[in-house]
Amino acid sequence: MLKTIIAREFLDNILNLRFMIGLVLCLIITVACIVILAHDYRQELADYNHRVNLQEEFLSKFALANWINQMMPGQKPPERFRPLIIGISGDESLGSFDDNPLPILFPHLDFLFIVTIIMSLLAILFSYDAVTGERQRGTLRLVISNSISRTTILFGKFIGGTASLLIPFILSLLVGVLYINLNPNIQWDSSAWVELALLTAASITFITVFYLLGLMVSTWSRYSAVSILNCLFLWVLLILVIPNVCPYISAQLRRVPSIRELERRGEEIKRAWIEAGPPREKEVVEQFRGKYGRLFSQFEALGFGKVQEEQSDNPEKVEKLAAADPQFKAMVDAFRGELARVGQERRTALNKAMLKLGADLNTKAAAQTRLAKNLAGISPLADFVYVARDLTGTGLRSLKYFGESKREYRWRFREYASGVETAVEATHKNEPTPEGGWFLDLRDHPRFAFKEEALKDKLGEVLPYWGILVLFNVVFFVAAFAGFMRYDVR
Amino acid sequence: MLKSIIRKEILNNLLSYKFSIIIILSTILILVSIFVMYRDYCLALDNYEILRQESESVAVIRPTPLSIFARGLEENLCRSYGGGSSARIGVSSKQQSVNDLFKLFTALDLLYVVKVILSLCAMLFAFDMVSGEKEIGTLRQSMSNNLKRPILILGKWIGGFISFILPFFIAVLLGTIFVTLSPMVEMSARNWAKLGLFLLSSVVYLAVFFSLGLLISCLTHHSSASLVFSLFVWAIFVFLIPNLGNILAHQLVRIPTVQRLELRLEQSSVRRDFEKHRADESQHGRIDNRIRAENEKLLDDYRNRLNRLVKVSQNITRMSPLAAFTLLATDAMGTGVAEERRLKRAVLQHRDIIRDWDDEKGDRPVFSYRRSSVKEVLDQGGLSNFLILILFNVLFFAGAYVTFLRYDVR
Repeated sequence: MLKTIIAREFLDNILNLRFMIGLVLCLIITVACIVILAHDYRQELADYNHRVNLQEEFLSKFALANWINQMMPGQKPPERFRPLIIGISGDESLGSFDDNPLPILFPHLDFLFIVTIIMSLLAILFSYDAVTGERQRGTLRLVISNSISRTTILFGKFIGGTASLLIPFILSLLVGVLYINLNPNIQWDSSAWVELALLTAASITFITVFYLLGLMVSTWSRYSAVSILNCLFLWVLLILVIPNVCPYISAQLRRVPSIRELERRGEEIKRAWIEAGPPREKEVVEQFRGKYGRLFSQFEALGFGKVQEEQSDNPEKVEKLAAADPQFKAMVDAFRGELARVGQERRTALNKAMLKLGADLNTKAAAQTRLAKNLAGISPLADFVYVARDLTGTGLRSLKYFGESKREYRWRFREYASGVETAVEATHKNEPTPEGGWFLDLRDHPRFAFKEEALKDKLGEVLPYWGILVLFNVVFFVAAFAGFMRYDVR
Repeated sequence: MLKSIIRKEILNNLLSYKFSIIIILSTILILVSIFVMYRDYCLALDNYEILRQESESVAVIRPTPLSIFARGLEENLCRSYGGGSSARIGVSSKQQSVNDLFKLFTALDLLYVVKVILSLCAMLFAFDMVSGEKEIGTLRQSMSNNLKRPILILGKWIGGFISFILPFFIAVLLGTIFVTLSPMVEMSARNWAKLGLFLLSSVVYLAVFFSLGLLISCLTHHSSASLVFSLFVWAIFVFLIPNLGNILAHQLVRIPTVQRLELRLEQSSVRRDFEKHRADESQHGRIDNRIRAENEKLLDDYRNRLNRLVKVSQNITRMSPLAAFTLLATDAMGTGVAEERRLKRAVLQHRDIIRDWDDEKGDRPVFSYRRSSVKEVLDQGGLSNFLILILFNVLFFAGAYVTFLRYDVR
């Protein structure tokens, strides 16, 4: 019986107007989007290669030792999933005076947009009247009057509806992927194909969330007109409102000190540090007065006990006295040593306080980001975006990973360059160093080859959010089940 | 008769379930967005005070309180622009936000609420105005009276739109009162005029989607079909065309990446030092001038292409009412593309003055900048965007009118 219900639901849907519209829309948008983004990818790759060559050429001509830091290679290649998803770095527009401002006003169109907006909307359109529509037409009571359980009907509706909904998505994705596969500029290795398979699975999990949301609302409504309004209300909240408002809410809940506040606190620490100086040094003087008595008074009489003007008076006389009297010398050395120790202690304390201030900011910023991420997690869109971006190396995690790889590479490059510099200096041992330093032959320098993060590391990050998506599916299905069990089919 | 139809339409809507849902949604969203963006504005003000005190900065402008309503490019505009003898302008944006998640999602300002959420609400209000009445049979009853079709469709439009737009105005009014009462916000007469233009353009924009919903309703005979069409057309106008426009413009105008430009400028400054160290001191001026001319040529070429790209992109995206409205609204609020271009021009001019400044003449002039007035906004393309919105309105309403004249009410 389940098979019959599935087949009926499937046929019902694919013969419907919305299926045709959805299919045409998905095919046109997905294929157009992949073709254009693949073309963009080719251009970005060419631009990346051009930049790498520019740097190589520059290094071969102008590699002076003192300017190595300004010439270090480490260009970011375009993400390999660029033909599908536009990475975050491409959207940043705060770095340069000459950046294009329009992407800030009108974000680019990519696979993420197709899944999160088009497919979620399509899923709701497929399911909002799955129950209410049948009730209004009177077919639901006919079905129920047969010996068929409500669970089977609901399950059949879910499977049949999802299968018909996924046809436009899978079909358009397949055409797009075929284009990627045939494109000679895009070379994907096996790990990229595995990531694509996982991305497709995650997309399906996301799409079914919205199908089940529509089904759930339908089982709790009497009329399709009410059901669609409720569905769209929830869609607006889950897709458009919650993800966008959560970073701001978290900024209010977990406050990060403003830059001005940080600067003020830094100034306060420095002022307190300066003010604490004379009393601490006075303590040292008192301590030496008590310990050495007359001998220290003799030293003070030369103007040295007054900490502020220690070097201002008669250093020759002190040296003479110290040379004549070993006890005096020992006292002067001990006094100077103690002052230096105190100074060092204070400087360490200052550095520690300033570092603590910075660390405090980082901790609070991390806590704010974590809170925003978790809050936004109540929207399936946010969960899907985390999964898709981290899986394909187009998100914040990949940006951080690239930063670490680049730092590690630059450290290796610096090591190599200083080795070459030492060798060059040894060759020109008796010659004065020219301004700007020696010219270094860096032809054999280590090349920067950015390697994507391992899939298993990425999976560790994305699985919890994927789990939330599965949980949404379960919750909505259970709610739909509960609603349908009590549903008045008349 | 027109009055009766308008009254009936308003009452019908006020008592409907969708009215309650939409009014709740729009009021909550508008108030939340204004509150959230107000906090953001306070942080931007704080940031401005810090940037202003930095001695090396050439130019920095005060955030506008209007960014609470439409953030647009405000974050870009309020960076500090630093210059020097080189052709390159350095930017620093001691961003208050340390939260990386802002990079993933959009700012939920009033502009976003209007252009995405309220446009959807407008279509939901209008999608069953004709097809819905036909289904329940009241349309044929209305037409059996001595009632002209043009009067009926006009009455429906006016009544429906009034009942939709009133809650919007109440929510915006509440939000505006909150903003103006807060101590951090100083609204000048010029700002009020700009806010007025923004609200006017919002009404015209929402009317476009309302007319579109009505047109689709007149084109279909079942409200379910009307709904499906409405949602797809909405998705195309709101998401697809504006987003696709940028990508298409990139195919039409070739432009190197900004990273390549930055790299070449960076390299030229190292090359200049390299050549100066190798040359006689008398040659330094000549080397400086040559490298500067090279850089300026590079930058001019890039900026010309960028301007062309932005122009093409704007023209393509204007095929969607959302883009025309976004461009108009952000320009009206002083956070748009035209304002950004104007500011950059002013920064470059100021940089040139500072570069050639003889310190013996006195203190260096301080950068001063005033955002565009309403008149300037309209001159800089605002009027054409406004006319595009009016044109969309006329087109969709005329379409609805013509279709309704031939509509089978049975």
